Amino acid sequence: MYSLFIDTHDDIIKIILFKDGKIIENNVKESSMQHSVYTMPMIEETLKNNKITPNELNEIIVVNGPGSFTGVRIGVTIAKTMAYLLNISIKSIDMLEIKSLFVDDDKKIVIESEKNGKYIGTFNKNNIPIEDYIYLKNSEFEEYKKNNKISEINNINYEKVYEYLRNKETVNPHGVNPIYIKKIGVQM
Amino acid sequence: MKDVNILAIESSCDETSMAIVKNGCEVVECVVLTQMDTHAKFGGVVPEVASRMHTENITMVLDELLRKSGMNKDEIDAIAVTYAPGLLGSLLVGLECAKTIAFVWNKPLIKVNHTIGHIYANNLMKKMNYPMLALVVSGGHTDMVIMKDDYEFEKLGSSLDDSIGEVYDKVARVLGLKYPGGPNIEKLAQNGKYSYDLPKPVNDDTYNFSYSGLKSAVINLVHNEEQRNNEINKEDLAYSFQVVAIDELVRKVELAIKNIGVKNMIIAGGVSANKYLREQMKNLCEKYNVELTIPDFKYCTDNAAMIGAAAYPLYLKKDFSKLDINASSYSSFV
Repeated sequence: MYSLFIDTHDDIIKIILFKDGKIIENNVKESSMQHSVYTMPMIEETLKNNKITPNELNEIIVVNGPGSFTGVRIGVTIAKTMAYLLNISIKSIDMLEIKSLFVDDDKKIVIESEKNGKYIGTFNKNNIPIEDYIYLKNSEFEEYKKNNKISEINNINYEKVYEYLRNKETVNPHGVNPIYIKKIGVQM
Repeated sequence: MKDVNILAIESSCDETSMAIVKNGCEVVECVVLTQMDTHAKFGGVVPEVASRMHTENITMVLDELLRKSGMNKDEIDAIAVTYAPGLLGSLLVGLECAKTIAFVWNKPLIKVNHTIGHIYANNLMKKMNYPMLALVVSGGHTDMVIMKDDYEFEKLGSSLDDSIGEVYDKVARVLGLKYPGGPNIEKLAQNGKYSYDLPKPVNDDTYNFSYSGLKSAVINLVHNEEQRNNEINKEDLAYSFQVVAIDELVRKVELAIKNIGVKNMIIAGGVSANKYLREQMKNLCEKYNVELTIPDFKYCTDNAAMIGAAAYPLYLKKDFSKLDINASSYSSFV
């Protein structure tokens, strides 16, 4: 069983190929605003290196944010198109939930940084969000940090993420979309 | 020769569109999902909102295309996509979708310039004959181009400042009309007459255009009348503006027909949907015995069928792209 993991939410593109839950290739590349140039070739290369064709994929996992809007859209568009065409299952997960898996506490506060601020997620011990995700500018975050215990996660074990996702339901590819959190100039 | 079916994607602005085009001239199916109503609430296209909606809709549009056309991957020969010019975030959604289809189905990928797509929309009417004069009129272009063959462009002239589509939008805004400006001005002008004396754009013998003077004149006129508490006859102003703006296009095309002796002409771009322009150009071309082609209304605005038509000559030349192509907001085709 082959699963393709696609993460384009920040400036490190990650394409991971799992076979039966074990990582068989971890393809990582730094990209500054060049996600469109790198992501599909990385997927092509990852499959080629392992001598498998897209038709042999059984599952797509995609990180749906939060982070660079354009970056996330690139990964999500590829993932949902691929799952739709191959008629295989797709699961999406966001970085805050991923990070919460690596905290052992009754209340877990994790952050995802970007240039000007932080996305913040608060979870219970079962990794269920107990508050809406928020976005704070760096200056606001300094204040927030004083009153909240934040867990910094720097190393992610993606096989553990895979294990966690085993119990999550697959979704309809049409319904897979980025999460944005940060406000834009107009209200939709 | 075997038929060539190209699956084409267009997402450069506020339409998510996909089509299957046979041999560059026959539309098997074309699906267009417009976001116009959403953007109308904001008074114009909001790029971030457009990108979000493309992402939400992209696979549903693909699903509708495949279901309606009844075609499967074995019947598709290539995937074509608009890569430039347009809104970067919007272009990228269509581009990544196209790359994914090309990869999964193992088909060649063809990148198409959006403006060239508008020109090739005319091949969906009847095969373009060369040499040919193309008038490209849209929100981004006011160009006159000579085409000697497929993909051989020679620029005669273009706007030195604002494009005609931009000026339509600005004038619509100052008249208090909703987005999209062009069709709304045209509607208003239907009941108007020529009663405002507006300055003619550059009155020279080049093939260039200049619309900023006309735009400023309309804006100043409206502001001055408002300050004097005079009522503006919006219908007359819309009519007067349209006549001056379009007659200038007609005059420059007439100049080209006389000087160069072209026998074939096409009009392309969003403004080619303008009925007054279509009428005037028909009259002009009849007078000089020039064969004129204008796309049907549905192929004047953004659509993927024109991208499939423009991809066909590239398919024949095997002008294929790799999966590392990027989108670009600007791109000149001449």
